[in-house]
Amino acid sequence: MTWVNAVIQGVMLGGLYALFACGLSLMFGVMKVINLAHGDLAMVAAYIALGVVTITHVPAVWSFVLVVPIFAALGYVLQRTLLQASLNRGVITTLLVTFGLSVVIENALQQFLSANSRELNIGSLVSDSFSIGSQITIAYLDLAILVVAVAVLLGLQYFLSSSRSGRMIRAVADDREAAQLSGINYRHVFGIATAIAFGTVALAGLAYGMYTQFDPTTGTTALLLYAFEAVVIGGLGSLWGTLAGGILLGVAQQVGAQYHAADQVLAGQLLFLIILVLRPQGITSRRELA
Amino acid sequence: MPDPATAGQAGTGVAGAVAPATGVAGTGASPALLELDAVCKSFGKVVVADNLSLAVGEADLVGIVGPNGAGKSSLFGLIAGDLAPSSGHIRFAGKGVTKADAAARCRLGIGRTFQVPKPFGAMTVFENVLVAVQQGGGLRGRSSYAAAVEVLERTGLAADVNLPAERLRLLSRKRLEVARAIATRPKLLLLDEVAGGLTDPEVAQLAGIVRAISAEGIAIIWIEHVVHALTATVGRLLCLSGGLIIGDGEPEAVLAMPAVREVFLGTEVTAELRAAGPVTGPAAVSAAGREPV
Repeated sequence: MTWVNAVIQGVMLGGLYALFACGLSLMFGVMKVINLAHGDLAMVAAYIALGVVTITHVPAVWSFVLVVPIFAALGYVLQRTLLQASLNRGVITTLLVTFGLSVVIENALQQFLSANSRELNIGSLVSDSFSIGSQITIAYLDLAILVVAVAVLLGLQYFLSSSRSGRMIRAVADDREAAQLSGINYRHVFGIATAIAFGTVALAGLAYGMYTQFDPTTGTTALLLYAFEAVVIGGLGSLWGTLAGGILLGVAQQVGAQYHAADQVLAGQLLFLIILVLRPQGITSRRELA
Repeated sequence: MPDPATAGQAGTGVAGAVAPATGVAGTGASPALLELDAVCKSFGKVVVADNLSLAVGEADLVGIVGPNGAGKSSLFGLIAGDLAPSSGHIRFAGKGVTKADAAARCRLGIGRTFQVPKPFGAMTVFENVLVAVQQGGGLRGRSSYAAAVEVLERTGLAADVNLPAERLRLLSRKRLEVARAIATRPKLLLLDEVAGGLTDPEVAQLAGIVRAISAEGIAIIWIEHVVHALTATVGRLLCLSGGLIIGDGEPEAVLAMPAVREVFLGTEVTAELRAAGPVTGPAAVSAAGREPV
């Protein structure tokens, strides 16, 4: 039963990873942008939520109502200015710019908000749980994060495959030059895609801030790597793959932790390496986005 | 199986056949739909547009021939907005569009096909056309679906609507390229070698589709190496060489011009053209007229 519990905990942790990874996956799928500042952006969202809670006194759980739109707008503006300018200068430039962004964000957070650990206080919800049998305990928060992750990924997949704007995004992801001849302003579409990605990364940042403590370096030390692994395991540019990749990574980590607490991270990295060797295109090789 | 392309053509039937005659008019009496005024563009030392001026009227059907590197596709790039001219002005439907980008010009009514078809490979044929109808044509909801279906029927793609575009064969890809362009509801359609690489009956089918589109009052500029298909369809022929228009007028007259003959001299195209004399229809298209790939 402890193994079953480990798998269940892993699935729920994987939901958090998938939520982190889907923005990364979307930005790569549409713009071929590898956003190295992704993890730090999640932390910025968490800090903004702290500010929102402090100023407005809304419960932390509801802070997303403000933070997600703010972040989506920020994403659109950032894409239309800095990222578009770097895209015009080539792929390597974009990679360097997002790396630079990551360094700037991390240091700015440390400078202005100190290196102390913070958390989004959600009261007793952080530890409330229910039990199935004697061995399996499920925290409400973990379950809620998984539900949000699945809903976001399903919603995004549906949006991309069946809506007017979604088709427009897929057309640009496929061939931006041809998309222009269909009357699509691809720069605007890039902005929309980034806005969506930023919205999801804000959600992920808030979820993480409620889930555990964070500090300015959490974005690069803990989040970015797992998000990347989830994307690569799942297959680049595929949202279904990203969900599956995140969950596989979470399960591997939790099962590893059953052997020894120190093996948690190791087990995840091993799975990542095995996938890279055996199936470098990821577990879902179909191109769903591009 | 009844061929959808010829069926579509039959729908507009007689009008399609007279399209070449109407094509000659337009530049004179009615105001020009498209005007290029002293447009220049070069890549390093390669001049693709040398002080180029050109007017195309509404419902004109204009063909463009010229040797490789003459600036034919670049001319389309300049008109469609992929290329920015280094000097000169471009006006479309009474508006200056020199600074407008390709997407904006598409929405104004300039549709274009690529020489090498560029479908959205992972999307279905229907979605390819739907995107063009919704974004370029500005339609929404049910009317956009109906318009997409209509375009697909007209271009003979009705049987392939749910196929991912990357699985289409060459003829269907070329048709999809045309379908996407007319789906944006253009006033002016730029066709870039849509007949290249096709067999003779396929070329005839495409020429039929082009005539049908022209008969609806859409102006067309058609670049083609399959000269016979062109002369049989268009009312006005331009010959481009080194970024200059060296011939402009009735197809037969242009092909008889010394400067044009000089450009083509020695190639199969002119040799055969002069031997064959006036071409009567798409059926006269032969393999010899095609440019070696």
